[in-house]
Amino acid sequence: MQSHSKKRVCYYYDSDIGNYYYGQGHPMKPHRIRMTHNLLLNYGLYRKMEIYRPHKATADEMTKFHSDEYVRFLRSIRPDNMTEYNKQMQRFNVGEDCPVFDGLYEFCQLSAGGSVAAAVKLNKQASEICINWGGGLHHAKKSEASGFCYVNDIVLGILELLKYHQRVLYIDIDVHHGDGVEEAFYTTDRVMTVSFHKYGEYFPGTGDLRDIGAGKGKYYAVNIPLRDGMDDEAYESIFVPIISKVMETFQPAAVVLQCGADSLTGDRLGCFNLTVKGHGKCVEFVKKYNLPFLMVGGGGYTIRNVSRCWTYETSVALAVEIANELPYNDYFEYFGPDFKLHISPSNMTNQNTSEYLEKIKNRLFENLRMLPHAPGVQIQAIPEDAINDESEDDDKVDKDERLPQSDKDKRIVPENEYSDSEDEGEGGRRDNRSYKGQRKRPRLDKDNNSSNKTSSETSSEVKDDKDKADAAEGEDSPGSNNNSTSQNSSAGGGNSTSNNNKTGDNDSSATGGAAAGGNSSSTKGAKENNI
Amino acid sequence: MATNMYRVGDYVYVETTPNCPYLIGRIEELNKNQLGNVEAKVQCFYRRRDLPNPLVQLADKHQLATAEDSPLATKLKKTWLRTPVSEEQAAQAVLDPSIAALDEERTSPTNQTGSSGSAASGGNSGGNSNTGSNNNNNNTNNSNSNSSSTGTGSGGTSSGIGDTEKGEALTSKQRYQIKHRELFLSRQVEFIPATQIRGKCSVTLLNETESLQSYLNKDDTFFYCLVFDPNQKTLLADKGEIRVGSRYQCDIPAKLKDITTDERKLEELESLVWTPEHSLTDRKIDQFLVVSRSIGTFARALDCSSSVKQPSLHMSAAAASRDITLFHAMNILHKHEYSIEESMSSLVPSTGPVLCRDEIEDWSASEANLFEEALDKYGKDFNDIRQDFLPWKTLKQIIEYYYMWKTTDRYVQQKRVKAVEAELKLKQVFIPQYNNTGVKGNGANAKVGSSSTGNIYNGTTNGGTDLSNSGKPCESCGTTKSLQWNSVNNGHLTCRLCQNCWDYWRKYGSMKSAHKGDINDGEAKKKGALPVATTPTPTAAAATTPTAVVDLNDEDKISDLTNRQLHRCSIVNCGKEFKLKSHFARHYAQAHGIAISSSSPRPIMKTRTAFYLHTNPMTRVARVICRSIVKPKKAARQSAYAVNALLVKQEFTNRISGKSQAEIKKMLLLKSKDRGSVTKIANRLGAPGNGPHEWLVLTPKDKIPQPLVVSFPKPPKAPDGSLVYDRVPNKSPDVVAVTVEKELSIIPTQATSTIRKRAHEEQPLNGTEVTIVPSGPPAKRPNKDPMPSHCPSPEQFAAMMAASGQPLSRHHLNGKQKIAQMARGGNGRKQVISWMDAPDDVYFRANEAHKKTRKILPAVDLRRAARKPWRTLPIQPMAPEPSKRPIESQIVILD
Repeated sequence: MQSHSKKRVCYYYDSDIGNYYYGQGHPMKPHRIRMTHNLLLNYGLYRKMEIYRPHKATADEMTKFHSDEYVRFLRSIRPDNMTEYNKQMQRFNVGEDCPVFDGLYEFCQLSAGGSVAAAVKLNKQASEICINWGGGLHHAKKSEASGFCYVNDIVLGILELLKYHQRVLYIDIDVHHGDGVEEAFYTTDRVMTVSFHKYGEYFPGTGDLRDIGAGKGKYYAVNIPLRDGMDDEAYESIFVPIISKVMETFQPAAVVLQCGADSLTGDRLGCFNLTVKGHGKCVEFVKKYNLPFLMVGGGGYTIRNVSRCWTYETSVALAVEIANELPYNDYFEYFGPDFKLHISPSNMTNQNTSEYLEKIKNRLFENLRMLPHAPGVQIQAIPEDAINDESEDDDKVDKDERLPQSDKDKRIVPENEYSDSEDEGEGGRRDNRSYKGQRKRPRLDKDNNSSNKTSSETSSEVKDDKDKADAAEGEDSPGSNNNSTSQNSSAGGGNSTSNNNKTGDNDSSATGGAAAGGNSSSTKGAKENNI
Repeated sequence: MATNMYRVGDYVYVETTPNCPYLIGRIEELNKNQLGNVEAKVQCFYRRRDLPNPLVQLADKHQLATAEDSPLATKLKKTWLRTPVSEEQAAQAVLDPSIAALDEERTSPTNQTGSSGSAASGGNSGGNSNTGSNNNNNNTNNSNSNSSSTGTGSGGTSSGIGDTEKGEALTSKQRYQIKHRELFLSRQVEFIPATQIRGKCSVTLLNETESLQSYLNKDDTFFYCLVFDPNQKTLLADKGEIRVGSRYQCDIPAKLKDITTDERKLEELESLVWTPEHSLTDRKIDQFLVVSRSIGTFARALDCSSSVKQPSLHMSAAAASRDITLFHAMNILHKHEYSIEESMSSLVPSTGPVLCRDEIEDWSASEANLFEEALDKYGKDFNDIRQDFLPWKTLKQIIEYYYMWKTTDRYVQQKRVKAVEAELKLKQVFIPQYNNTGVKGNGANAKVGSSSTGNIYNGTTNGGTDLSNSGKPCESCGTTKSLQWNSVNNGHLTCRLCQNCWDYWRKYGSMKSAHKGDINDGEAKKKGALPVATTPTPTAAAATTPTAVVDLNDEDKISDLTNRQLHRCSIVNCGKEFKLKSHFARHYAQAHGIAISSSSPRPIMKTRTAFYLHTNPMTRVARVICRSIVKPKKAARQSAYAVNALLVKQEFTNRISGKSQAEIKKMLLLKSKDRGSVTKIANRLGAPGNGPHEWLVLTPKDKIPQPLVVSFPKPPKAPDGSLVYDRVPNKSPDVVAVTVEKELSIIPTQATSTIRKRAHEEQPLNGTEVTIVPSGPPAKRPNKDPMPSHCPSPEQFAAMMAASGQPLSRHHLNGKQKIAQMARGGNGRKQVISWMDAPDDVYFRANEAHKKTRKILPAVDLRRAARKPWRTLPIQPMAPEPSKRPIESQIVILD
């Protein structure tokens, strides 16, 4: 490996991207991309790479992944016609975390256009590293917006890469789980998704260690659930071995790295404790493999640190050393009071003990051993033919003709096996997900007062409704039954006696009342339940 | 002291009520309220014991289900957990045939996985039999589920993943204790005073690679897997899912054989803006950038609108160095194929040097003002800002401007406001270590033994059993020795716990070892399993929880020092806290006037002015007799007025000498004034039906007495009803006129004018010598008017704006712009101040004549005049000035 080789780096940027505004109080600020760009210019990195202005991705390109309906919706929705689209907005999860703002579709076009163009560039072998800081919107689903993401530029880019690369590795170092990308490629063995993220009571709720892919894609989804306070050292201790192992076993032909900067210390939404250096080390490590390399942006909500981070990572891609002293630029004042490139970690405790990380690592190694071309079997030159066979079969089949039965069966099986039949329903698809009411960003009082007045009657209410819906849907007759009893018990001590008669069970009713009260006054009841 | 430093995100014990287990929560926010107290917003975790019984069973089921990796188990988990459960319903659910069938279904495959089968089915049967909400059954159920999980591990799941729990079979004691480590996350948030925080703990989402044992091995560690909703009474797995199906996955394109087969054309996808493939050196590029910047500076010098805004060369140069110029230069280079020469000439086309301006430069000062005003009004709702304030700008321009505006000094002010807000939101807080003894003093029934600490002290040092406990052992561990004994109300019976067990109970919400009444199976086993905890020796207890046992001497010392419980003022809106009780009492006395009895005989407060005047009859008589000398009214008005005590004394002795005792007594009697009886007045006022009083009827408008002189007459009305204001004329000629005329009018009353501080102020007030009334309505704050040389008239302003090509907005501040002026502050440094904020820029300069007049006047008159400037001075000047030199009211402009 040549670690410090100069590579051809292409960088995608549209000067308009900084002027899209998600709305008052919204943490996602495309402006950070412009800040990065200005830093790059003044660091002199601009002149060392090919700078491209990406095209605006067309609806056609977007529908390579997204559903036609969804793209049509995105194209037509505007702040001034929002009211006409109420129902669709709910269906496509547009409104709260993913607000409708001016130029929403253009923003998606630019973001996706950059990643697609970058992927094509890599396909044509016209570049070794492509960077699109405007991309990396990893939460967007096939027909659903999520977590500030509308169009999944990463999936579009990977799809493009798959045309010329047998296997593509996707690595996600955003603090949030890269659920959109994982879901898109959950059942394929040609894309491995590796996501390092905070897990547990955190958006988007997915990314458990046990989520390993399905069907053909089993073991091709790798999730590293982490806890608060990951620091540079701990991160490297898990990133390096896992990525090495993945590279060894999966042997990808191209790599996509999502460089979400919300894993940095002091992020507005994140809870890790990485520095710019530690974050950049991941880039450096992946770059060493000398594979066609697409770097995209992602999260990052303390924008001064985001632009620091991405500037540094651009310099890493270019293998150029840059000074710690920030050069003067239009947004210099943002970087006060130290005006340095690098940031120092906070004193927060790292809840990821080394043994925890060790155990996670071992479990993932076990999973990776299940891959067909694991070294335990034999290290081979990519068994292209074997895998190609099937895909070629697919090709031979005329798309317009009916599918052969074998093909149909192939598609049906995983659907039945891994999804809850109840979950297939239109409305309450994910009704059993409590975190659904949870938003990616913590609710601010300010938003509620001003901007979100109409978009929703405060998220808590939404959540309540959802939970109620859950209760009602879960089981029909007992559901209603439950409502009445819970009301009874929540009414407090007065009712508990009547409950006693009903149930003939002192303990339980007392506890019910107590828990409904929910706080200190009720502990008397709880105490009785102690033993 | 890292241990006492609490940060946002920490998991903490919280004491909500003194005699209950702690609440466990995660600090979400630390806020300082107005009183300076820190309030913590904590997300609550629930213990197993806080859950309704049916949910506890569900939790057990879940644990069972997660122990297995089969999809069927997950399915079961889903079905079960989604079921909202109330008391009876849970029982139904358990008995529900369909679920029971599921149970059966589940057991059959697990049976195939070898040894785990029996354990799992055991757990299953336990669950099924568990129709009542019997706690005992819970316990067995739980232990079963635990054993099943270990069983699964040793048996090996279908995936062949080695479970880390392999080989470490939990003893039943441990199984019992692990239940205390399980918490249930809730989304309930509570606000508690930070002083109730009682230490840190750690709560983590249980990961299946972890062994439960690892939690038991560490103190203060908890885990959770489920989310409890206290309102709905539901348990949910906090887990999302990746959906599978054609509606979620994408279609994977086939790999193409050949690069040429791709229909993609790069030209359509991207346009090159810069390439590093050129012949220019870095130095050349740098040079070109400097050139383009200097051209930009020059262009600004030529451009008249720029030269207004950037009067100095420095500012032009700074404006020309902004990134937009650099980007433009780079683009030009690329466009001209990296030929410096061509690029250079394109920078200076025949139309004049190229001028690149970004939004911050492009916006006029008035637009900037508008923007700030709008930002104040609407916040960052740029759509509204655009609509109502800056409709001629595009949204993008406004956003770009906003982000650049944030780098300016003007933003600093806003930031300061934010900083104050942020100050109230703390990142961390230091809470001194909490001393247990304090609580027990508060909690009335907390301490069982009525004995004082001294008693306990004796008990322990002597090595004998504590007498106060009357020899009964601790209900949990059986020890008979403890520093303190605490009673715990455990449902039907009250238990007595030693210090260690009590700490355990508060932290984990249960007895350290299973209670006698609690467990009906395998108690002996438990005792054998963890002998350390059950041995009734203090040393063993110290080994398990070393922190709990503190040498009593130390403890006493600590409590005597700063670590006492804080005393908090209970008065509404106060809530100040004091470390020492005496401070606290003093606060009460001083701030709220409440005396708190304290055990100490010393007065609790030291008053600042601890005296009072005792007036004896003699003094009172003296006051009456010598009223003329004492002048009580004056003395009351002027505290500084000195009463000549000697004189009073003398006079008093003189006058009192001839008086008889009766006379003196009479003098002392207060002559009461007859004001009528209060009750009568009250009755009269309260009586209805007296009709509207005459004095309550409003005087009709025309009968209101008109003032003789209207100082500020209403301007005449225009035909459309609006008031016609006379244009305020340009000040410069006026000022001259006023001074000239003043010379005439002031001369006879020279003395007056000398006393006036400001020449112009007397004009409307000094009615006696009125000769001039400035044309037009008098301005309320004439001195606030801009000085002629500095501020353009509205017309001039409009003209200026027109010349600079900027629209005159209707919002500008009466034609006055916030034009910053350079001023020299006291420290000699240049400072830009807006003239709007500048202090009054006129003062009165006394000349020789004034000074002379002042000397002529007696001091009393001067003082009186100062007090009542509107009064004409009674004394005319003794001798008019021979020179007849008029007093010039010179107005000096401060700049």
